[in-house]
Amino acid sequence: MNRPVIAFFPEASFGSALNCVGIAQQLQRQGAVPVFLCHQGFTGVFDEYGFKEYQLPASPKAASQRTEETWQAFVTAHLEHFSQDPLTQLETYVRPTWEAIVDTAIQAEKGLETLIKRIKPDAIVLDNVIMFPAIANAGVPWIRVVSCAETEIPDPNVPPYLSGMAVDDPSRAGFEAAYLECTSAAHRRYNAFRTRRGLPPLPSGQFLEASPYLNLLLAPKAIRHERVHPLPEDLFVFLEGCVREEAQFDPPPLPVNDGPIIYLSFGSLGAIDTDLIGRMIEVFSDFPARFFVNVGGFLESYQRVPDNVYLGSWFPQPSIVAQADLFIHHGGNNSYCEALYYGVPSLIMPYCWDGHDNGLRAAQTGTGIHMQRDSWNPQELCDTMTTLLGDKSLHQRMGRISGHMTQASGALLAAKSILCALGQCSP
Amino acid sequence: MKTRSNTRQNHLKLARQIIEITLERGMNRGDHLPETALSEACGVSRTPIRSALKLLETNGIVQRREEGGYFLNHSPEEIGINGISQLDDMEDTLAARILSDRAERRITDVQSVSALVRRYDVPRSAVLNALKILSTDGVVAQLPGRAWAFQPLLDTPNALAESLTFRLALEPQAITAPGFEMDSQKAGLLRQQMEDFLRRSDGSMSSVAFLHLDCAFHSLIAESSGNRFICGALLAHQRLRLSTQKDHSIPDFRLRQSLEEHLDILDSLERMQHQLAADQMVLHLRRSQIRKPQAANRGLLPLARRGLA
Repeated sequence: MNRPVIAFFPEASFGSALNCVGIAQQLQRQGAVPVFLCHQGFTGVFDEYGFKEYQLPASPKAASQRTEETWQAFVTAHLEHFSQDPLTQLETYVRPTWEAIVDTAIQAEKGLETLIKRIKPDAIVLDNVIMFPAIANAGVPWIRVVSCAETEIPDPNVPPYLSGMAVDDPSRAGFEAAYLECTSAAHRRYNAFRTRRGLPPLPSGQFLEASPYLNLLLAPKAIRHERVHPLPEDLFVFLEGCVREEAQFDPPPLPVNDGPIIYLSFGSLGAIDTDLIGRMIEVFSDFPARFFVNVGGFLESYQRVPDNVYLGSWFPQPSIVAQADLFIHHGGNNSYCEALYYGVPSLIMPYCWDGHDNGLRAAQTGTGIHMQRDSWNPQELCDTMTTLLGDKSLHQRMGRISGHMTQASGALLAAKSILCALGQCSP
Repeated sequence: MKTRSNTRQNHLKLARQIIEITLERGMNRGDHLPETALSEACGVSRTPIRSALKLLETNGIVQRREEGGYFLNHSPEEIGINGISQLDDMEDTLAARILSDRAERRITDVQSVSALVRRYDVPRSAVLNALKILSTDGVVAQLPGRAWAFQPLLDTPNALAESLTFRLALEPQAITAPGFEMDSQKAGLLRQQMEDFLRRSDGSMSSVAFLHLDCAFHSLIAESSGNRFICGALLAHQRLRLSTQKDHSIPDFRLRQSLEEHLDILDSLERMQHQLAADQMVLHLRRSQIRKPQAANRGLLPLARRGLA
C-alpha cells in the first residue's frame, strides 16, 4: 500500500477537530494522506492546516437560519444549567444532549456512507462519543480516538463518566443508576438504529464500542487511573496528550504590561457565559498579571476592558499556553492536556460533561485547582490565582510532567500506531 | 504651518526610504551608510537624513560608530521583515495608542478630549493632534460639540468579514482599472521580503510580521490602480487593518499559501495578465475569510460565522 489515505471524522467540536489536526500533521509527515470528513460549519477549518476536506451533505434541518435559532434556543435553555452539579445536569443537560447526539448520528449516516464510498480511505479515524454505523460497515480498519477524559472508558476503579466524583464516592451507585435512566430513551433509539444498519446493540449507557483495530486515549500517565481491568496494550494506546503544531502567537504589549501571563478560555461554548467572564475580568483588573481571555464570538459584549487584559475571539491555544504561567479553563480534555503538556497549572471551572471529571482529577493529582463556576467571591479568585502562581513545588511537578509528555510526543505516537494498525509499522 | 508631528512624519518617511535603498542595493550588516549618497538618493539635504538615521539608530537598525557615520546593524532579511514594522510601530505614537485602545475595547466609541487627556496624561494639544491624524483616515469624526466618535474598526470577527467583503468589491477592480501601473522596484522589494518570509521554518512565522507584509502588498495594489478614489479608499482601509486588525492567529500552512498567492498575483501582473491577476485576487481574498465556526458543541450543528462569501 502506497501513501494510505486516512479519513478523519472528528465530532463537531474544537477539541476533537484540533486534536485530529495534530495527529493528521504527523501522519502527513509519515507519508500518509490525511483527509477530513467534516460537519457543515467546520468546512475550511482543516483546509487552513493544509488538509483536504469533504463536507457531509447538509440536511434539511441545517439551514443557517435554523442553526442560529437552534443555538439561540440552546443558550436560553442551558446557560442556567451550567451552574448545576453533575447529578442535576443529568436531567437538564446530559439527557437532551444524548438525544441530540443520536439525532446527528442518524442524520449523518447516509451522507457519510456516500462520502466513504467516494473517498475509499484505507482507514477511518473516529474522534467522537458515538459510533456511526457507516464507519463500522466501511470494510476498512477504523480507529477510535478518546479525546474526552479517560472516564469515557468505564472500569470499577475509574469514576463514573461525567460525574465529577471520586472513585469511592458513596453516592456513586446512585449516579450510575441515574445516568443509565437519563440516557435510556436515547440509547433505545440508538440501538434500534444500529440494528437497522446491521450493527449489534450496545450495553446500556454505551454509545460507542472499542475498536477491534486500535484505540487512542489522550490521558497522560500523571492523571491516569489504576484500572481493575487494564486495557489491552495491543489495542489501547495512551498518547500522553496529543498537541498539534500551531501558529506562533506573539502576545501584544498591553498598556499595563507587567507580571505573569494568565490565559483564560472556557471554549467556544463557555464563551456564551459573558456575565461570568465579565465578572472575572473585573477581578483581573486589580491583579498583578497580564490576562489573555478567549471570548469566542462575543467580543462585542465587552466594553472598558482593563489595561492588563486582552480579549480575543480566537487564540492559537498551544502557542499561548506554552507562554502562560497559569491556564484558567473549563476542564475540556484538550485544554487540560495542553496545560499538562506545557507544564502550566490549571484553574478548572467546569460547566458540563467531562469538565467535571477533569476538575476533580486536577485537584486529586495536584496539577491544578478545581473551583465552582458561580460560588466564588473576588478575594477567593485572587487567592486561588496567587496560590497557583506561587506554589514552587507545583511548578516543579508540572515541569516533570511536561518533560515526560513532550518526550512521549503523543501526536507522533498516534500517527505511528495508526500506520501500524494498517500493517505499516515503522521503527 | 509645519508642526512637530509633521516633521517627525517626514523623518519616518525618510527612514523608511533609507531601509528600502539598503534592500535595493543588497547592503549587508556592517555596511557604511554615507549621508551624502543617501541625501542624493532621497533628494533632500543631509540634515533630515541625519535625523532619519537617528530614528533608525533608536530602533537598533543602524549603529553610529566612533570612526564616523552610520553602519547597518542587521541582515537584509531582518531589516525587510522587522525594520519596516518597527518604524510603523513608532509612527504617531499617541494616535496609535488611542487607536489600539479602542480596537482592544479599552475605551468606548465616543470620547471627549478631556477624557483622553486624563487617560494618557498628555497635553490637550497632543490629544487634538492625535485625533487630527486619526481623522485624516476617517477613523474618528468630531461630533457636534466636543466629543469625537470612532468609526467601525477591524476589531471583531464580524468586522473582519465586512472588511473582506469590501476588499472583494474593490481590490480586483483596482487591478483591472485602465490606469493600473505597478512600481516594479517596489514590487521587486516586496517579492524579496515575501520570499525571505517563506523561508522561515514552521512555528517561527510571526503573524504580526505577516500582517505588515500583507498590508504592504495590498497597499501596493491600491497605489498602482491609477484610480484615485479606489486608491484612497483601499489605502485608508489597509492603514486601518495595520493598526487595528485583531485575530492574527492564522495557521502556518495558510500563511504560506497566502504569500504564495501574493507571488502568483505579482507574476501575473508582471506578465501584464491583469484579468487573471484580478481573478487570483478574488480567490485569495475568499480563501482569507475566517472559516472557524462561532460556536460548537456536541449534538449541535456548529454555528457558522456571518458574512462568508
